[in-house]
Amino acid sequence: MFSKKILLFGYGKHGKFIAKGLHEDGLSVKVIESSLDFYTAAKEDGFEDALHIDVTEDEELRALNPDKYEQIVCVMDDAHLNVFLTLSLRSLYTECYILALSDSIHTTKKLQMAGANKVIDLYEVSANKIHNILNRPVATKILEKFVTEKDGISFQEMLIPEDSFLIGRMTDEIDFSPFGVLLLGMIDKELGHAFIFITAGINHKIDTGDTIVCIGDKEKLKAFEKEIKKRRV
Amino acid sequence: MKQILLSFALFLNGSKRYRSIKDFIRDILTNPDNPHKKYIDITIIFLIITSVFILIYEVKNPVHEYFDLYDIYFVSFVFAIEYLLRLWVHNDLSGHIIQEYNDARYLQRDFSLWTPLKKGLAEKFQYMLTPAALIDILAILPAYRPLRILRIFVLFRVLKLLRYTKSIKQFMEVLSNKKFELLTLLFLLFFIVMVSGIAMYVLEERINPHIESLFDAIYWALVTISTVGYGDISPVTGEGRTISILIIISGIAMISFSTSVIVSAFSEKLSELKENRIIEQINKNKSFLLICGYGQMAKMFFRQNEIEMSNYIILDNNFEKVQLAIKDGYRAIHEDASRHDTLQKFNIEHAKITMLCLADNDVENIYIALNAKSISHKIKVIARASSSAMASKYEYAGVDHVLLPNVVANTMIHTAITQPTMHKAIHAILTGKNIARIDELHVNTYPTLIGKNIEALNFKKSKLLFMGIEREGEFMFNPSLSTCIESHDILLVMGRQISLDYFKTLHEGNV
Repeated sequence: MFSKKILLFGYGKHGKFIAKGLHEDGLSVKVIESSLDFYTAAKEDGFEDALHIDVTEDEELRALNPDKYEQIVCVMDDAHLNVFLTLSLRSLYTECYILALSDSIHTTKKLQMAGANKVIDLYEVSANKIHNILNRPVATKILEKFVTEKDGISFQEMLIPEDSFLIGRMTDEIDFSPFGVLLLGMIDKELGHAFIFITAGINHKIDTGDTIVCIGDKEKLKAFEKEIKKRRV
Repeated sequence: MKQILLSFALFLNGSKRYRSIKDFIRDILTNPDNPHKKYIDITIIFLIITSVFILIYEVKNPVHEYFDLYDIYFVSFVFAIEYLLRLWVHNDLSGHIIQEYNDARYLQRDFSLWTPLKKGLAEKFQYMLTPAALIDILAILPAYRPLRILRIFVLFRVLKLLRYTKSIKQFMEVLSNKKFELLTLLFLLFFIVMVSGIAMYVLEERINPHIESLFDAIYWALVTISTVGYGDISPVTGEGRTISILIIISGIAMISFSTSVIVSAFSEKLSELKENRIIEQINKNKSFLLICGYGQMAKMFFRQNEIEMSNYIILDNNFEKVQLAIKDGYRAIHEDASRHDTLQKFNIEHAKITMLCLADNDVENIYIALNAKSISHKIKVIARASSSAMASKYEYAGVDHVLLPNVVANTMIHTAITQPTMHKAIHAILTGKNIARIDELHVNTYPTLIGKNIEALNFKKSKLLFMGIEREGEFMFNPSLSTCIESHDILLVMGRQISLDYFKTLHEGNV
């Protein structure tokens, strides 16, 4: 995709898997650890530029130049350290995007207060999943496939290029079925950055710079992405 | 004769129909979890109450002949049938005969009908001697009219109610736990009453005009020691009054002692009684959740519930956690879910149980899951595993869904980083946010959908996004508009909650 630079704090039970997944997707990840054991593990796993620093020191954090990275991910195993780190980063750099993982209800709130842009609560997402399994077993199973599987059906976001044949047409009138994909929703540039689901029931006009999100077979999605670049006839 | 009985037993034993009928009757009469049992219970209770009412009414007023007939024939007839059925299902007489016949053939000895018959009948007789069975037979007796005294046996019908009231059964159970203390007290009471009664008789028989026999003296002693003190007999001599003082003092001591014994018996059993009540209540539901372990996960699970759940129960073997759950307002009991008898208490036969193993510990979770599966495969188990390496073990244990909190969270973070726009969308879908719920429609509950093609359903008009059909385990994504819907399909649609609800109501009726 595009080469994003991610600063990952923590190479513990979560960091390890996240780093691996991101690396597989071709993103450049820089691992920072304060524990020597995890640091060596990161080195062994091939993250050569991993750093071993004391994350409570502002000077050392500053030396990392976090504002050069697109996203900062805080997934330290120690929840206290994670909160402190988030707070330090936020106080040093008000602009950067911080994503943090919380493994308890109490930590989630603290991380949010510390200034994390997005907090993913381990228990919240899991508890959600239980509800989903109980109430909508089939839907959950299929959705999971969508999200996790590399091939087969998945989601894709597409930027509408200049003079695409879709420009100027309403979402309701476009027939997507010949392409084998479904339109899930879009981001209308005129309306800000909010994601609008197609099912919200509002008809949108597609313009240049809008982003549409489609579901479909990977191949079909790729074909469709090429298709929308075609000029209007 | 022997041959006829044997072939009859063979016939009964071989008949599936006979077996299933017998099992059905046994279940409906004796299994409190049977959903139909309550109808039988209500009928019997109604019969008891009406017949007792007739007895009371009859004392002062003449009753209509019909009521009398109803009381004599109908009620007694129903009770007699119930009694015979209970006797019938108590054991398996034909089974005994077959067993003996097979044994005899195997050992090549003479087959004697008498041995199994004796054994089977002895078992039946033993059943007849149990208090419940005795009450049952006494409750049939009032049908015999020539003896007026038998009318009082109607009261045994009231005792029959004992079978249907759990609280009295529990009361007796609690008291039987304190058998030793209560028996000691009873013996002491007997001893004091006898000694003081005899003393009174010897001292005052000639002087006191009210004491004419030893029975009077003992009656006086009992009335005094129980602190009832009618006053119809009272001591007249100084010696007699001294005895009275002693009895009164010991009486007070004894009453307070017996009260404390009973109270302590109850307070010891109170939590257990409460828990049993909770289990009974939950067992009445057609389907319910068993949540094992009250930790962070369980808390979050409850917190996310938009709708109040009624059919759940929390089990935890840590007393403090149970207390915490109760304090948080949830229905929790202090039980160890890894024990066989704990799960046995639940209505496994007739209810749909889903079990959530949410303990922090893999060993514990697997054990609980295996325990549930060993009791019945009908129990659906969703278990939490600590790592993906553990997941295969859970699957091996037969767990229906393995939940990996770490993996779920890691995927979320991953998508949040790589696909930020879509992450929002996926998150909204996965968390089932109001605006974009993905829901499944089981076609068999909406029979009007069968046979229609997708174009005819016009999902777009209902503001729904039709995603595909799950048919026989296969998911067909975005099928062509001419695809017809079959009866076992599950349709996957996305949309706002109100659109989904509206679509469902639209297709519910026979349009």
